[in-house]
Amino acid sequence: MRLLVGHHLTNAYESLRSNRMRTALTILGVTIGISSIVVILSLSAGAAQIVNNQVDQLGGTIAVIRPGTPDRESQINTITANISGSEMTSSLTERDVKDIEDIDHVTAVAPIMILGGSVSSDSSRPRNIQIIATTPGMTDVATIPMAEGQFIDTVTNDDTAVIGHQLSIDLFGTDTSVGRTFTTHGVQFTVIGILKRQNNPINFNNVDFDHAAIINLQSGKGFNQGIATIQQINIRATSTDKFPEVLRQVNEKLTRNHHGEKDFVILTDGDLARPSTQLFSTVSASLTAVASISLIVGGIGIMNILLVSVTERTREIGIRKALGASNIHIVWQFLIESLVMSLAGGIAGYFAGYIIAFSIARSFLTFDPVFGWSIVGASMGTSLIVGIVFGLYPAILAARKNPIEALRQFH
Amino acid sequence: MTIDATAPVIALDGLTKRYGMGEVEHTVLDNINLTIQKGEFVAIMGPSGCGKTTLLNILGLLDHADDGEYLLDGIPVNTMSSSHRARIRSDQIGFVFQSFNLVSRMNVIENVALPLTYQGYPTTKRLQAASKVLATFHLSEREYYMPWQLSGGQTQRVAIARALVNNPAIVLADEPTGNLDSRSSHVIMEELADIHRHGNTIIMVTHNPALTSYASRVIHMIDGRIDTDTQLPRPAKPAVAPKRKLGKKSKKSQKVETA
Ligand SMILES: Nc1ncnc2c1ncn2[C@@H]1O[C@H](COP(=O)(O)OP(=O)(O)O)[C@@H](O)[C@H]1O
Ligand SMILES: [Mg+2]
Repeated sequence: MRLLVGHHLTNAYESLRSNRMRTALTILGVTIGISSIVVILSLSAGAAQIVNNQVDQLGGTIAVIRPGTPDRESQINTITANISGSEMTSSLTERDVKDIEDIDHVTAVAPIMILGGSVSSDSSRPRNIQIIATTPGMTDVATIPMAEGQFIDTVTNDDTAVIGHQLSIDLFGTDTSVGRTFTTHGVQFTVIGILKRQNNPINFNNVDFDHAAIINLQSGKGFNQGIATIQQINIRATSTDKFPEVLRQVNEKLTRNHHGEKDFVILTDGDLARPSTQLFSTVSASLTAVASISLIVGGIGIMNILLVSVTERTREIGIRKALGASNIHIVWQFLIESLVMSLAGGIAGYFAGYIIAFSIARSFLTFDPVFGWSIVGASMGTSLIVGIVFGLYPAILAARKNPIEALRQFH
Repeated sequence: MTIDATAPVIALDGLTKRYGMGEVEHTVLDNINLTIQKGEFVAIMGPSGCGKTTLLNILGLLDHADDGEYLLDGIPVNTMSSSHRARIRSDQIGFVFQSFNLVSRMNVIENVALPLTYQGYPTTKRLQAASKVLATFHLSEREYYMPWQLSGGQTQRVAIARALVNNPAIVLADEPTGNLDSRSSHVIMEELADIHRHGNTIIMVTHNPALTSYASRVIHMIDGRIDTDTQLPRPAKPAVAPKRKLGKKSKKSQKVETA
């Protein structure tokens, strides 16, 4: 049997056009739902791409070692644990760092110990920030650009710190605060350098450098009973072709140090980006779930209008059946009307989402949204599903009308 | 004129239709036995409320009987699936409703073309065919009118044009001339007589005894029963309005009116 899609399309067009306001409002419902999904997906894709780009720029010579077992979940845990700070114990030791330094073709190694803590200066209230205790090697692994002064190095005093651009403003009211002092954990630190504003809380170190203070590992240990709780070791190899060999040796040495226990993970390239990417997809999945609620509301709008339309056209349904329309024909007639509305909403939603995502990004964020075919597919697919799911019931209701009773309506 | 056929087109055996239940139950069609051969032109008459429309609806597969059997072309209709019934309505039956039943949001030509839609005709063919039928009913200038812009008589002619557009084997017409003056009535009857001459079966409800002269058989119903069933001697041509060409017919029709 022919489905008469062409006929139903013209028919749907005529019928929707004859109720412009009603149709427009119904489509708007879907548009809102789809556009929020498009905004969420494109912004999280944009954020994920930043990390990917950073990792790409590092040119396949950087690895990061973190404590934990190498399954997906713990990678996410590692990320979140990092942010929470020094309470955590770590399987990584200073000996591991030392051993890695000795491996051939390793150009830079930096242990990273992240401490929480309150800092205060003469002119500011105490505030909680991330304090990163590390070695000068950190800026050799991946360059951390300076705005003023210098990074911590081997000759600098223990009680010196490099601080983030925003932290400098927060503490001292100026971004040129080299030489000034602040106190944390009862110790006074002198600022020797200010980092360039990065505006980029998303990076593989999981550190918001704009708001952080970087101190020497020795000082960090001093705040933790002399024990280095290393949450991460950054490694850089001399070149891409030496990289696999470096990794193999790192793995070998650490496994030996840890008596065969696999309580660390080595993250490279894609892996390095993945935990963050995964975190984004988790976040964006939950946001999408929230957005889906508005989509359901839009779908209910379609269903509602179709039910009204079925009632209004009961007589027409009776006539059509009397003239030879089968139940399937009637189902298609209303289903296509539903699909026309939901797909129109989907297309409008995609473009609205495109504009909204860019406006949000340009006004509040440091990165652009990323639009790929997957987002086109997701928005079209979702609106298709909405059209089917919410159109099917009214359509079946219409098809099941008894022709003779339908013909008697309004008479 | 009656064409011999092996199986009757329509065979009703003890057909019964009731409405209501218990106290208020009343029998609208009461044990109807009726056989209609292919090519008959049956006129059904009877007082208002005697069940003519109900019978036609059942014959047109729009309604179900409560009792008895209805064989259409030898097949019991209560064994047919709903899609089979839809296909028969689409391919074999043309229905003229007592209340016209044009789709109000479609214009005249779309209304007339609608039955062809469900036979799968492409749009242009559909509209061509509809246009052709409309021409025979002098409605060419009204093709793009909406139903509410038509007079009662025009509406009825559109409804009939729609029933005839797919050249159905069986035409069921419920008072097709109810709203028409007698001249227009004969235009309609002439058209029905014409398709009858092509061998189609026609079952028509009418209140106008003058129009029964087109029929080959007249059935009188009273209270849901068949009262009389008369075969008419059929002249080779209808007794009145013999001209084939509708366009040249007006004078003849006027004569009939006075007759
Ligand atoms: N849906 C219905 N419910 C109850 N009674 C009905 C229904 N439809 C028709 N009837 C009754 O059936 C009888 C026959 O109606 P109908 O077939 O329309 O008569 P007519 O011969 O005038 O066409 C009438 O008495 C009418 O009241
Ligand atoms: Mg009637």
